[in-house]
Amino acid sequence: MYSDFLHQITSWQYELNRFISSHMRQMQDETSLSSFLVVIGVAFIYGLVHAAGPGHGKALVAFYFTSNKSDYKKAFKMGYLISVFHALSALIFTFGIYFILEKMFRKNFNEFSNIAMMISAVMIMMVGIYLLYEAYTGRKHKEKRITKTSKSELGVAFSAGVVPCPGVMTIVLFSIVLGQYTLGILSAIAMSIGMGITISLAGIFSIALNKKAGSFLNSYGFILEMFGASLVFGLGLVLLLAQI
Amino acid sequence: MKKLILFLIISTSLLSHPHTFIDVYPTIKKDKANAINFKWKLDEMTSSILIMELDKNMDGKIDDKENKYIEDEYFSMFVPYSYYTYMFVKGQKLNLPTPKNFEATIEDHRLCYAFDIYIDAQLKDIYFEFGDTDYYNALILKDEFVDAKGIKTKITGVDNDFYYGYKLEFLDVQ
Repeated sequence: MYSDFLHQITSWQYELNRFISSHMRQMQDETSLSSFLVVIGVAFIYGLVHAAGPGHGKALVAFYFTSNKSDYKKAFKMGYLISVFHALSALIFTFGIYFILEKMFRKNFNEFSNIAMMISAVMIMMVGIYLLYEAYTGRKHKEKRITKTSKSELGVAFSAGVVPCPGVMTIVLFSIVLGQYTLGILSAIAMSIGMGITISLAGIFSIALNKKAGSFLNSYGFILEMFGASLVFGLGLVLLLAQI
Repeated sequence: MKKLILFLIISTSLLSHPHTFIDVYPTIKKDKANAINFKWKLDEMTSSILIMELDKNMDGKIDDKENKYIEDEYFSMFVPYSYYTYMFVKGQKLNLPTPKNFEATIEDHRLCYAFDIYIDAQLKDIYFEFGDTDYYNALILKDEFVDAKGIKTKITGVDNDFYYGYKLEFLDVQ
């Protein structure tokens, strides 16, 4: 079942990937606004589908919203923040490494992405600890629990977005090779927004589950919060151990 | 619970959805029936990045020196992954024979890796499966990619839980 789903999104990505590369190359000879927009639009869809595959912080976002009483608006905000970090990190990493260390790009890319993944893992663990702390103190001051700070949201978004997505980096790099800088940057942004929307859905799904469970879970709110926070922490730990 | 664990494991492998697409072109070599040539055509985006690095003199071709470098530094990386190619003889999974005659080329802006596999068994007794268990690469096999020199072949999708693979069988072989 799961692998059928993977196969489906892989075949879509296969076609979208081909479409983008052949059109970007064609535009070297002749650029028109409509073809420019088509490539960016397809990059957006590519991002939507791409983030549906494994990874990209969907688990983190889902766990975060398990431990937090939030509304759907927050989930979208989270998706939006993650897209911003995703796009920025991909652009900075790609341009940075490409222009500073032009030659041994591949080798360095692997090294840098390991470091980025470790930073991300530690960040996720810190968010987990912060959520545990909030759940604990929130229990003491029940009335204050509603006013969650946006600090932890930013932390979650940063941890999920700081690892540059190889898919976005590939598009950026491909457009650098073709000399299509503007198109590359805009495609990377479009793709990141697409990914952000899919990642938001993980959060919305998690909130919907919470709402459905509703009153029953309300009385166990504290346990649920602790559980969600521990999951976030555990996820960071697993990711960190995988890097060492 | 099993689903949850599965979900966790998959979600935590942050970098493991397909980022490279490889079209696999199997060709049965006429001179030796038990030699099969596999040609991988990498997708254009990945190719352009690799070509930038591997076509050192930037003449749009891979010369002998560059070919040697790619074989030693890049193609050898696939050894632990059995070149994403799994050989079954009479239903039994065997180690893939060491690929011979490695040749890298650039065709239509795409980087291609070609290699021969010499098999010690009858074609009718074997089948191949293709796929990257880590799912970093997606291997694509289509009917029109296969050149079996008149031998009938059958391609089916294989559900492997963590990744999707293809199976290539040879039918009606004398």
